Amino acid sequence: MLAVLLAPLPATAQDAAQWLTRVANAARNLNYTGTIVYQLGGRMDTSRIVHLNEGGQEWEKLVSLDGAPREIIRSGGEVRFYFPDAKVMKVEPRTLRNAFPSISPDQVKSLAQYYDFRVVAGERIAGHTAEVVVFEPRDGLRYGHKFWSDAATGLLLKARLVNERGEVVEQFAFTDVTVNAKIDKDMVKPSWTATAPEWKVRQSAGGEVVQNDTGWVIGKVPPGFTKINEGFRKVGGKRDPIAHIVLSDGLVAVSVFIEPVAVTQTQIGLTQSGALNVFSTRNEAFIVTVLGEAPPATVRQIAQSVARRAPP
Amino acid sequence: MNDNISRLMDSDLDDIEFERMCAELKTDASIETWACYHLIGDQLRGTGGVSPGVGRRFAATLAAEPTVLAPAAARATRQSAPAPFAWAVAATLAAVTVVGWTAFSMVDAPPTAVAMAREASTVRAAQVKPAADVPAEYVVAHQEYSPANAIQGGSMYLRSAVSQGTSTRP
Repeated sequence: MLAVLLAPLPATAQDAAQWLTRVANAARNLNYTGTIVYQLGGRMDTSRIVHLNEGGQEWEKLVSLDGAPREIIRSGGEVRFYFPDAKVMKVEPRTLRNAFPSISPDQVKSLAQYYDFRVVAGERIAGHTAEVVVFEPRDGLRYGHKFWSDAATGLLLKARLVNERGEVVEQFAFTDVTVNAKIDKDMVKPSWTATAPEWKVRQSAGGEVVQNDTGWVIGKVPPGFTKINEGFRKVGGKRDPIAHIVLSDGLVAVSVFIEPVAVTQTQIGLTQSGALNVFSTRNEAFIVTVLGEAPPATVRQIAQSVARRAPP
Repeated sequence: MNDNISRLMDSDLDDIEFERMCAELKTDASIETWACYHLIGDQLRGTGGVSPGVGRRFAATLAAEPTVLAPAAARATRQSAPAPFAWAVAATLAAVTVVGWTAFSMVDAPPTAVAMAREASTVRAAQVKPAADVPAEYVVAHQEYSPANAIQGGSMYLRSAVSQGTSTRP
């Protein structure tokens, strides 16, 4: 009986794409509130989330319950980060058209080729019956993903990223959640009115990506990854637009940022923060920074193969 | 009671509380919790390798050597530990969800407790640099492109919240 329960159900690439789409839509369209535990490296953080979708518009409030108070308000086309201790509020624009990349046929193919997608036995998470799916990588260039989604609504209840040694590098889970909750706008309003002179408001410059040929190429794109975006974007704290190239294998993205060497201190080498690996290297008068939810070898390979496009 | 065990492990108890806890640890339930907390800590520090049944063996050793818990020795061990671990974390999450369930319902079931502790605490603290090193603006710019992040909705911003929260300059 146990063996029958544990045997993975057959699943196809199309199932994987359908599952991803359903869960992404649930995250965007449902009204929900709950407590999330987020585990990253050796840290654990607990947050409260309230999400409202009204007439296709999204509002969201994320309040950190541990450590220094922090609050994130997402509404319209921007994300606001409140730091009440420092009386600082940062505004980051968010390009909504990328809220969820619809999965292209190429990416569906890539998903099936580079991940073994399986539906495994259901579990109970935060009081809800959950469907459990696994994306097991077929090579060492990507992490393994395990997802638990609410069987009734599709909302993601738990997610786990596992490295090549089977160690959990990052994990998030609802400990309690109410789906289809009655939520009014007051519940997604910021807890503070961030106005001068008490508060310092830092508006991030631009953020809009100008689609463009950056003049840079990635010599060794890891198998399964394709370029999904290339352009220049303004990044907070930097004067000039920065070249930004995004690669994706259908499940994760890896970003390549290229900027002129400036006075700002940039760490050279590998930095890890949970599943997020960052590799910075110097390329002539530029700093190349590659970051993504992929193993160190993947981001390093990409960073070290970035080169100026040869003149025609 | 569980709270006091974690405080004992952090050398946070005063002399009277310390004596009381030493007496308390002679009960099966307490020793199970004590062993479980250590197991969780070992797993979180990545220095695991404790085999099932450690609780029973520890209880036997403790019964044979009732003076084994010397406060000075405990402090010295803690200071030489490779990665100090905040026991408050174990007390809030791991203890409640892992130790709590097992300690309440099945005191004498160490394999289950061990398995659950492993499951809950395999996130490793080792070889991870502080998140503050990751440029937060890059993280925010990057995140909206990741399909795996998109399915998490707004909780994908937890990562940038953690990253910005550790930064001295918000």
